[in-house]
Amino acid sequence: MNERVDSSAGTFSWPRENLLMGMTLREYLRSLVTPFNAVAGLILLAGLPVIVYRFAYGLGAVTNLSQVTPWGLWIGFDVLAGVALAAGGYVLASTVYLFGLKQYYPVLRPAILTGFLGYFLVVVGLLLDLGRPWRLPYPVVYSYGVTSVLFEVAWCVLLYFTVLSLEFSPTVFEWLRWKKARRRAAGITIGVVVLGVVLSTLHQSSLGALFLTAPTKLHPLWYSPFIPLYFFVSSIIAGLAMVIVETAVSHRIFHDQLSGGKHVDIDAITLGLGKAASVVLFSYFFIKLLGLADGGHWNLLNTPYGRWFLVELLGFVLFPCLVFAHAVRERDATLVRATAAVTVIGVVINRLNVSVIAFNWNVANPYIPSWMEVLTSVTIVTIGLITFRWIVNRMPVLREHPDYQGMH
Amino acid sequence: MIPHDLLTMYSAKAVEYLIAISFLLLFIPFWRFVNAEKIPAPAARRVPRWLDTVVEWFTVPSQVYFHPGHAWARVDGADIVTVGMDDFAHKLVGGASAIALPAVGSHLGQGEKAWSLVSDAKSVDMLSPVDGTVVAVNEQVAAPRVRSPRDPYGAGWLLKVQAPRLTANTKHLLSGTLARRWMEEVCDTLRARMSPDLGQVYQDGGLPVDGMARDLDPANWDGIAREFFLT
Repeated sequence: MNERVDSSAGTFSWPRENLLMGMTLREYLRSLVTPFNAVAGLILLAGLPVIVYRFAYGLGAVTNLSQVTPWGLWIGFDVLAGVALAAGGYVLASTVYLFGLKQYYPVLRPAILTGFLGYFLVVVGLLLDLGRPWRLPYPVVYSYGVTSVLFEVAWCVLLYFTVLSLEFSPTVFEWLRWKKARRRAAGITIGVVVLGVVLSTLHQSSLGALFLTAPTKLHPLWYSPFIPLYFFVSSIIAGLAMVIVETAVSHRIFHDQLSGGKHVDIDAITLGLGKAASVVLFSYFFIKLLGLADGGHWNLLNTPYGRWFLVELLGFVLFPCLVFAHAVRERDATLVRATAAVTVIGVVINRLNVSVIAFNWNVANPYIPSWMEVLTSVTIVTIGLITFRWIVNRMPVLREHPDYQGMH
Repeated sequence: MIPHDLLTMYSAKAVEYLIAISFLLLFIPFWRFVNAEKIPAPAARRVPRWLDTVVEWFTVPSQVYFHPGHAWARVDGADIVTVGMDDFAHKLVGGASAIALPAVGSHLGQGEKAWSLVSDAKSVDMLSPVDGTVVAVNEQVAAPRVRSPRDPYGAGWLLKVQAPRLTANTKHLLSGTLARRWMEEVCDTLRARMSPDLGQVYQDGGLPVDGMARDLDPANWDGIAREFFLT
């Protein structure tokens, strides 16, 4: 039923060509035996039962959360850090389509895919934390909850996930060879990108605005009325850094996809993104200083939390800013990539600081995530990596589809 | 007595204003730092070993800037530049009777006359690649009837110039890939000169002889040279 005869090339089978990458089922299964798949398989084997256990026996059975600390690793890492690191989609989309810097097009589709999968996994992480996944549509159709900042976050994430689906749909339609659908999806790109930037501005900052409702719980050095601005600006930094890292890793792992195509100067793209990251980090550093001055808690810098704050501000904001600037000036793409990795870690540390480490900083029994929480987060990331690889191996993400070459 | 409101300073606001002003002031040098292009590091004091890049028949070293009038410039210090005529110019004109170099202390302008090649009572000017003041001349090359050194980018240097506007000057000079492409175009022009009736032909081996311009047109070799030297 899925076969058609191609007189020039023998029997064409859509599932074999597009799902099994041209291999027979036996060959495909044999190709799955790799060290990465072995490790990923073990993680899934251990993590998926924990997820089932969480839904069967509740949060208390799996996490170290409590009435005092209702938010932990899943919110801090999977949701907050996940949303920040998925910001590469709107940053690159606005760079290419709104600012007209077409030379960054080669990294746009991978960035949108990273954003698409990132937001999907954010929703998965959120559902894990909230429980009762059948209530996911409630903020849309049943009980809005307009008094909560989370109402805005829920709507924004829903709409932005739709936007990302529409932005990624041309790639899917090219893979399916649905030309008309692809043409229609490509036609609405600009509008969708504008909507994506607006929505991202909203929800990136809203996730920071959540902490405005708990000024006494967050350590004074991290709390500021400017938190929404911090989260928005650092999401741009996270997006740029994540695109640099993801491009470097993808081009190494999937280099066979790139050899036959048009030559792309990835180093030039990396240097350009590094320059942008350097400038935004510079501005972000001064915005944080402004918040510090506004709070007036200079004396707290000489405390253990204060020293940790300085590690975050100097080691993961100012230091990468200067190294990016130096690397761009010296045209050292390798140093840019290494600095981007440090920057990604810095954004994750910032989100964990705000939501977990410096939150409820003065309670008697500070929260420490359980091994099952850590395993669940690692499982979610592994699922994301496997899905990313599955899509990149089959769809025209890193390469151009032969029917649409030069049409972007 | 209550202090006047206008004179009351809130220390937090003062610090915030200082931070904002510092950001604006520091952003300018930061932006210039990020956007600055690296100027090649100074060459070693001893005679450098050139990674010669041969384009067609002529050497086009990678660590040298070229002026379209076939002068070259090499950065040797903070703002000291060594200047000479390139391999193409040497082979085009051949051994000149003398080279009239400017005196130490003379001011040069980029794209303006710098020195002259004198031979057979004819004189051909060449243009300076940089702005600046001459701080040294190569007496050995300037002496009449002295055979020019075979290394136009080493012992064959002509002037040392103190160039205060080096960064701006280098923006109008060619180096690296651009210089090689330029030399390829020069060679195409030279070939067209050599075989105007046949159109473009490619020689099957061979090396250019010294004084190609005289071989092309003995009576008008200076005109050919001026055409290539843009004078």
